[in-house]
Amino acid sequence: MDECGLAEMAEEDEEIDIYNNETFGMDMDTEVVDTEGDPTNPLFQFGEKPPALPALPSLSPSSPPFSPRARPQLRVQGPPGRRGRGQRGGQAMAQMFEDPAVVRTVEGRPSLQSLDSAIVDVGSVSYWDDLDPDAWMLSSYERTRHASGSVLQDPAIVCVMDSHAPGRGPNYLDSHYPFSNSSGRRGGLRGSYSNRPFGQRCPSQINTMLPSSPIVSRRPFTTQQPYNQVGGLPSPRPCPSTPQPLTPKMMQLRFGANSPRPSPFYSPSSNRVQRFRFPGPVTQLHPQHRRLLSQRQQRSQRKPDSWDPYCNLMSAKEKEWIIRLQMIQLQSENPHLDDYYYQEYYRRMEAKLAEEELGMRGKREPPKLTTPYVTKMDSYTPVVHIEGSLGQVAVSTCFSPRRAINAVAAHCPHEELKDIRQQRLDVLKKIEKLFMVLLEVEEGQRMKAQVLGEGEEKGLMEKTEIKVEYIYSQLQHPDLEAEEEFLPCLLVSKGKQLLARLLPFLSHDAALKVLSMVTSHLPVLMSRDSDESLPVLYPSLRIVIGGMTFSQLIGVLKDFTASLPDSSDGSVCLSLVCQSKFGLSLLYALLSQGERLLSSDVPLEPSIGDFETWTDTVFLVASQLSQSALVEPLLLPSNLLTLFCRYLDKRTIHQLKSNMESATGYLALPS
Amino acid sequence: MLFYSFFKSLVGKDVVVELKNDLSPGDTRSAHATGLWENVFSYLEDVDKGIQEHSESYLSICGTLHSVDQYLNIKLTDISVTDPEKYPHMLSVKNCFIRGSVVRYVQLPADEVDTQLLQDAARKEALQQKQ
Repeated sequence: MDECGLAEMAEEDEEIDIYNNETFGMDMDTEVVDTEGDPTNPLFQFGEKPPALPALPSLSPSSPPFSPRARPQLRVQGPPGRRGRGQRGGQAMAQMFEDPAVVRTVEGRPSLQSLDSAIVDVGSVSYWDDLDPDAWMLSSYERTRHASGSVLQDPAIVCVMDSHAPGRGPNYLDSHYPFSNSSGRRGGLRGSYSNRPFGQRCPSQINTMLPSSPIVSRRPFTTQQPYNQVGGLPSPRPCPSTPQPLTPKMMQLRFGANSPRPSPFYSPSSNRVQRFRFPGPVTQLHPQHRRLLSQRQQRSQRKPDSWDPYCNLMSAKEKEWIIRLQMIQLQSENPHLDDYYYQEYYRRMEAKLAEEELGMRGKREPPKLTTPYVTKMDSYTPVVHIEGSLGQVAVSTCFSPRRAINAVAAHCPHEELKDIRQQRLDVLKKIEKLFMVLLEVEEGQRMKAQVLGEGEEKGLMEKTEIKVEYIYSQLQHPDLEAEEEFLPCLLVSKGKQLLARLLPFLSHDAALKVLSMVTSHLPVLMSRDSDESLPVLYPSLRIVIGGMTFSQLIGVLKDFTASLPDSSDGSVCLSLVCQSKFGLSLLYALLSQGERLLSSDVPLEPSIGDFETWTDTVFLVASQLSQSALVEPLLLPSNLLTLFCRYLDKRTIHQLKSNMESATGYLALPS
Repeated sequence: MLFYSFFKSLVGKDVVVELKNDLSPGDTRSAHATGLWENVFSYLEDVDKGIQEHSESYLSICGTLHSVDQYLNIKLTDISVTDPEKYPHMLSVKNCFIRGSVVRYVQLPADEVDTQLLQDAARKEALQQKQ
């Protein structure tokens, strides 16, 4: 054989060695491994016993020439991750592959042990027929460089998942089973996919554990894909033999022999800093989350490549196998339900940021968590009761990580307290049940936003109305008077949250009733609001206030000026209101609505005495506000000073303005 | 999947992970081996000692939550130990993988947790399990 042929073959052999190294971690060693009698030798795991191997020539350039032969048709059978044996056995294996005797021996069904058990069963025979037998001879680097992509975007994996229709298992006895045509290598898919356009793949090294650093990919993860994957997978590229897509439920993972090795769609990174890519659909990062993480990563310094000598202990194939295993477990038919918190959290954050951008408010960076200094407690109360909780709080100790919550108080010294606690418990249980119904209502609202037929939308609306009415009726305590029916619910923070979320679904009259209830019992609510949960009602009530007529507004304002039962001074209530963020904000909102109605061209249709009541209220409120120390309100309407300017003298206005500004910290400019 | 979904939202945030350090003879998990009543009494003794004392004796690792999986295994980067004098072997460790089953507590940044959403997620999960 001439020198050119020798050089070519040597080059080919080197490529084979490199490929083997990358795939199986087999080191190249000139030492010939005597595989005869070795029970772990895959060759012995087939049905036939291989013939005794002749002495094989070495592959050094100075070795005697041997006739060029067809490229081996074998798949390399080494177990993954055994880096130590690789070099030793690699050349010998390559040499053995040259031997027709060896070729004949291994040309058969591989055993389970000989193959990586992580290989997913294709279940499709013709899939292999499309393979290019010459393609595998590409340099592994070239191959892997081009073949990058997410696990589930790789057609091999997708095809695998698609192909698991019932009854379509691999037929090992089928003579057409592709093993003999596998071009002598495992992962025969590689060749056919290495030529795929680069842009169709995602960057490499998917981690099923959500990464914190989605490195800027060469091609961004297909943002066109909906984040909420219905069925949990992207629309797969159809496998040549399996055109119909399957839902995740139908997809079954079968690990077994003759399963193709997935393509090496990422190259062994020369950068030793591990790069994590976007995971698959179910664990895919929300775009907002991705943006935040990439911003954070840009700020952080990059560590030098050589700082960690223990990087990349696992081969790319091994990582890929584990990732695939985990990701398949995470498939879900309903990611909105299974991954509810994550999706909803980032959706809200995105909405909030969009709103902030529109409002030109400054973005606030999330504070960095600092290690808290833990002070030693002087006393330890083994049983802690927090007001509003269902019985005892689960106090954890080192030997009892979590105590069972005692839902029913076993012993209570005072019967009255027991009754109160029992009542509170009942209210809380009822609120929890109503929350479940409310979640269904909100879910219905969300579905309504999607494209639905008219009939479906109507049916959905009817169901929503029924549920809302049910919640509303349940919130009204049967034993109490009409004015106090919502009070038990409003005295509990969870109840306030429930009402705040229910208000947008209520009719205007029902919402007005709730508002009247709140304003008429404001002193009680403010005094019992130890956890300051009243402000949660403000946004919803503000919307209700915005839809009130002038007469309705006057009626509600009267509650603010109404005297307490044991007080003769009508301003006591107002003074209490001035000390409460929620109360003050509500008062401001009411006055602002009145000013807006008076300034607008809309006919007011007031009742008799409304204007007088309005004027008296404005005077009373203005004098109270100018005298009291004000807390910072939740929102300061811009038209408030305009209202006061209309009725008050300059001195009072000036005093009022300085008082309001000192509380809020910014100018209370008249509109 | 609730906790997994929850922890996913914390990826990239700083957390403190407190590990279960040891299984002392008084631990209830070893009750069967050492006798039930013995452990009950020793448990009652430990209740008096208070939580903080025990918290201080366990390894706490502060770091950035790099990734989490469905088993709540955690990867932390840029870690530091809250008590390096007691755990000097951790000084050279930059990143770590923590098996989920050995985690006792995870201290979270309060601002990153939407408690109302968490409650809703818990309710949905409870509803799902009932169905």
